[in-house]
Amino acid sequence: MVEDLSLNQLRELAQRAALNLPDDELAKLLPGVNRARRQAGELRLLVSSQAEPAGHFSADKGH
Amino acid sequence: MDISELCYLTIGEAAAGLRRKQFSAVEIADACLDRIEANDSKLHSFITLTADLALEQARQAEKELRSGIDRGLLHGIPIALKDLYATKGIRTTCHSAVLEHWIPDHDATTVTKLREAGTILLGKLGMHEFAFGGPSIDAPFPAVRNPWNTAHIPGGSSSGSGAALAAGFCFGALGSDTGGSIRTPSSHCGIVGIKPTYGRCSRAGVIPLSWSLDHTGPMARSVADCAIMLQVLAGYDANDNASANVAVPNFQSSMKDGIKGMRIGVPRKNWFDENLGIDPQTEAVFNQAVKVLESLGAIIVDIDGKPFSLARKANQTILTCEAYSYHEKTYQETPLKFGSSVRRRMLEGAFLSAADYLTAQRARAVLNEQIRANFTNVDVFAVPGAARPPEPFDAMDPNEQNMRPSFTNPFNLTGLPAISVPSGFTEGNLPAGLQIVAPAFEETICFRVAYAYEQSTEWHTKRPVIS
Repeated sequence: MVEDLSLNQLRELAQRAALNLPDDELAKLLPGVNRARRQAGELRLLVSSQAEPAGHFSADKGH
Repeated sequence: MDISELCYLTIGEAAAGLRRKQFSAVEIADACLDRIEANDSKLHSFITLTADLALEQARQAEKELRSGIDRGLLHGIPIALKDLYATKGIRTTCHSAVLEHWIPDHDATTVTKLREAGTILLGKLGMHEFAFGGPSIDAPFPAVRNPWNTAHIPGGSSSGSGAALAAGFCFGALGSDTGGSIRTPSSHCGIVGIKPTYGRCSRAGVIPLSWSLDHTGPMARSVADCAIMLQVLAGYDANDNASANVAVPNFQSSMKDGIKGMRIGVPRKNWFDENLGIDPQTEAVFNQAVKVLESLGAIIVDIDGKPFSLARKANQTILTCEAYSYHEKTYQETPLKFGSSVRRRMLEGAFLSAADYLTAQRARAVLNEQIRANFTNVDVFAVPGAARPPEPFDAMDPNEQNMRPSFTNPFNLTGLPAISVPSGFTEGNLPAGLQIVAPAFEETICFRVAYAYEQSTEWHTKRPVIS
């Protein structure tokens, strides 16, 4: 279960990410950010410890 | 033949008419430009019109065809491009103030292929800003409107491509699709669009939204026209890291073989009723389309929709993280240069963690296995092109799309080919689409099923009255 961020926490995270966003903009962002975080959290229930990410680096191709 | 009839020919019909000298390439280009001039002020489908170039290319095509140089079915055919395909010497804006004045010094690989096939470029088309968010109300260019009812959205993000085709402004267009951006406007505008298999068509020279989910592909007014365009566009490109080095088949080879005995999976259970569920009118149109497929001899098989439903969560997580990564520097320096719609959606990626992103990529592997396992039991999946009819601009709720099932996201996450074909109308004469999804690199099966459906219905022959 992912805890929702408060506006203060979002402001702090934005500053750490070098994002200079006014408070009214952060307030508009907050619901979407919390929805995105909850959604990402739900995906953790899907993956077993054996599940690897879908993309792999290929040494022969170099990407 | 009057202008309207000429502009609504299929690519196949126009190609035949050019070779029979019923009309010339210049006459077709002129007809399109006249129609755009008369009607596009109501739709705003074009950001940049390249009329002089179009007429020059049309004269060249006419000269070549007359002298026996035939570059194939697209020779002399007017097309247009979503404004995220780089075009050498022609402004490429992504419908954004960020790139408002950018003039690339190169063409995207797909643009080069279309030019070498002798197409006529009419111009660059409006879209959702950077192919994300919703219609851009505060971008430097007006939002594209739906030709079937200009009070409604045309769907996105390839909104100009969908609107221009439905309005008879061009014969084919390029879209791009990261979560449904070819198939949603195709469904909402009553035209055909295919998102080919991931890696089938080059992304080189296309401004990315999300590297691992971006697909390029054609949109047109018939299934056969999409196949004609894909034949030119498909193929390995060393300039695209995700390009697949696989053989390109003749996409029309089995198109007319019918679908008798074909097994079509419908993943209704655990998906169609997710949250607010599918709009009832849209579901009724879909159910009718499934009955048509059954009447053509297909066997309808219920399959579990749960992994399809979960796919949206992984798709959105990956998409927002990759999109933010691409645009991070601009967000840090000039965040308000982005329009409000794309800004709020894309900035979500700044607040997801590396673990969130990698978990989504791990979930992608799990869900791919679960979804593709269905192909041991069925040949294709059939799902609606969109979960609801196109909304009116004045009642748009950006959060609502997350409350309904996404019928497009799962096929970006899995990379499977998916085509949307017109399947009827909801209240107010607003189009709906049927989506057919096939195993990887089996676009021929998409075309075969979509063609059988298209030819047994009349939806693709309907035209909007632009007012």
